[in-house]
Amino acid sequence: MEKIAEQIRKEASRLLDSEEVEVVVGFKKGTIPMVNRPWFARTPEEAKEFHWDGFCNLNLVNYLTKRKGKVAVVAKGCDSRSLVLHFQEHQVTKDQVVILGVPCHGMLDRRKLQRAAGRKEILDVTEKDGSVVLRGKELELVLPREEALQHCCTICEHRNPVIADIVLAPEVEERKTDRFSDIADIEAKEAHERWNFFRRILSTCIRCYACRNACPHCYCPECFVDCSRPQWVGKSQDPDDVFTFHLFRAFHMAGRCTDCGSCERACPMGIPVRLLTRKLEKEIRERWGYEVGLSLEGIPPLATYRPDDPQDFIM
Amino acid sequence: MERSEQKEESWEPKILAFLCNWCSYAGADLAGVSRLQYPHNIRVIRIPCSGRMNPAFIVAALRNGIDGVLVSGCHPGDCHYLSGNYFARRKFTVFKSLLEYMGIEEGRVHFSWVSAAEGEKFAQVVREVTEKVKALGPARNYVKERIEVC
Amino acid sequence: MNAKILPKANVSGFLGDLRNKGYEIWGPVEVDGAVDIMPLDGNASPVTEYWNSRVSPKAMVFPQSERMFVFSVDRSRPDAFILKEVEEPRIGRLAFAIRPCDARAFGILDKVFLVQGAWKDPYYARKRESMVVMALGCNSPCSTCFCHWTGGGPFSREGVDVMMTDLGGGFLLEPVTDKGKELLAGIDLSGASPSNVEEAKRLQDAATTAMEEPLDPSGIRKRPLLEMFGDSYWERAHEACIKCGTCTYLCPTCSCFDIQDEVRGPCGIRGRNWDTCMFPLTTLHASGHNPRPTGKERFRQRFMHKLRYFLDDFGTIMCVGCGRCVQFCPVNIDIREIIRELRG
Repeated sequence: MEKIAEQIRKEASRLLDSEEVEVVVGFKKGTIPMVNRPWFARTPEEAKEFHWDGFCNLNLVNYLTKRKGKVAVVAKGCDSRSLVLHFQEHQVTKDQVVILGVPCHGMLDRRKLQRAAGRKEILDVTEKDGSVVLRGKELELVLPREEALQHCCTICEHRNPVIADIVLAPEVEERKTDRFSDIADIEAKEAHERWNFFRRILSTCIRCYACRNACPHCYCPECFVDCSRPQWVGKSQDPDDVFTFHLFRAFHMAGRCTDCGSCERACPMGIPVRLLTRKLEKEIRERWGYEVGLSLEGIPPLATYRPDDPQDFIM
Repeated sequence: MERSEQKEESWEPKILAFLCNWCSYAGADLAGVSRLQYPHNIRVIRIPCSGRMNPAFIVAALRNGIDGVLVSGCHPGDCHYLSGNYFARRKFTVFKSLLEYMGIEEGRVHFSWVSAAEGEKFAQVVREVTEKVKALGPARNYVKERIEVC
Repeated sequence: MNAKILPKANVSGFLGDLRNKGYEIWGPVEVDGAVDIMPLDGNASPVTEYWNSRVSPKAMVFPQSERMFVFSVDRSRPDAFILKEVEEPRIGRLAFAIRPCDARAFGILDKVFLVQGAWKDPYYARKRESMVVMALGCNSPCSTCFCHWTGGGPFSREGVDVMMTDLGGGFLLEPVTDKGKELLAGIDLSGASPSNVEEAKRLQDAATTAMEEPLDPSGIRKRPLLEMFGDSYWERAHEACIKCGTCTYLCPTCSCFDIQDEVRGPCGIRGRNWDTCMFPLTTLHASGHNPRPTGKERFRQRFMHKLRYFLDDFGTIMCVGCGRCVQFCPVNIDIREIIRELRG
């Protein structure tokens, strides 16, 4: 991890020094354990603050939407696919961006770690040799890294950036994973069970829109929740309105979500919103064999068609 | 849209049909002109193309007390706007699967291709849709809470 | 009156007695491993070993969605579109085992909703007036707690009717106000022994001294207002912020709301919902102009309001140091850093 941090600092400093970019977007160490802050370095001096560890979860491509000028961004596998989508959707152009690719072994889930520590406050987290060491008042706990990973990372099939100008670490071995068995379990339920299931998991939603705002691909100038003529979704905590917000947001992500997990990471209530987005990923893979953000030549599936698309459900 | 109070046995579903102007709406018109009989439960909304269909309309329908929705357009290859129905087909695939996944019963929302010459097909589609929705019963889960007293 | 002892095994019975007296009790409940402050029906038992809830208890007096009026949309009626107040039964609410920072926060909300001598928000007032607060002091404050910067502390009694201290097997209940005395007088509890009181004092002192040296934010007033407003600091400070509503919705002192009408069948309602200065829609004018057009202006507004405007108006920052925003902000915006920066 520290080696990666050093590389980020080195490359960032070089890019800023040569004025190849105006700003480098990465992370600096958070003021509390288990979270890091997106950092926008504009001078080689500021680039010294870049940091890298298992809590660099958030998708930094979120800060590139409609950005002007030249920018460098630190991108993991999922982030790089988001960047491809951003290029496809013209939110930023390829020649504006210098991609500092970081092959990723997975990011850590602070909620999992806190559950492991129980009621003891975690004051320090150290990662070494495949373990995560938690320390606090009367707390010293060692966990294997695999048990502490964010869910999206446990099933990630693109841990290496698919596109990068500079790669800052050795390649990670890719593997096929079982991405959809939990989705299949939900599909197997009865309709009313599914209805109740989603109502229950959405019951703690406070409409803070952290999920929406953390997502690079939610960038509509006017979000559908703010449209009042007509008002598609009410603003109150009516459970049907909360449900509708998540239904529509998931639909907007169809064929666009790279499963970076930023939505779930940002959510203060720990709502597993990826159970919705991954259902759509499953549909799109099965129907049209498409995976998001793998190549610049790809076209988001809802923005295109084939004359012989499957239509078994149409009368 | 008001719901009249009805006893459950005599309940008739309210079904909204979004028909594309150039094919399905014309097909429905042909059914009428040909005096073909089909259930009276549907209410038609004409849209220029099935590609114009916004999934939010389906949700708005369900939330306002509609029991079933039909969206119908031109056959693939025959779209008046060339490719609207192709995009619609992809959109519908995704939206239908998401709606059902989240618990809206299968059989509430339907899609069809009906051409301007297919009056009989339109009548048949309506019969099938009405039957399926009737079998599911009134859509109660997702209806916007009504306030009757004020 | 002297302090009483509430053994942990008797908490349900105690709450049952209070419920019989007509109180609607809210307290910390475990929800999927996290804690929220919710109404406690007879079945839910409160947790009392917890740090703090995710969403603050401000929903007790300021719910996230609240119906203010109803109206008919039937034009044939003579009273069509005339707003009618929604009847709300007056129920005495009791906050059980909330934290002292949250108890102080009600005092800050009072400054917004109950403007002395001028105007009272009736929806807030009718819930607040009869509220009783039993606050559970913090034996081990978290590293993100900074209540003592804001004039509070782990056993602060401001806004508290009965102070609870966790002695291990039970709680010491110390009445702070007349309301508190009245509450305890009506319940059959044994009196606390001198050693109970001593133990509580020891825990309270230990908690207070365990906290790091506080920072006094009152220095934020010193700089000229417009200079602070126009400082280029805000250009960089806001960059990481994703402008969601997490901090504002979890905050016990944030009080922005939006009023909206919704038609639901033959009747409509006028209701209010929590709003946040972080969303662009909050300040969007009907003309289309937005005085806070970008995230920078909204970020600046949040902290200027909390740390300067409110301080100028009311002599205290609009923050009780609960630390929720610090813990839950997805990008680690840390209000403590901003306080340090503004203070100079």
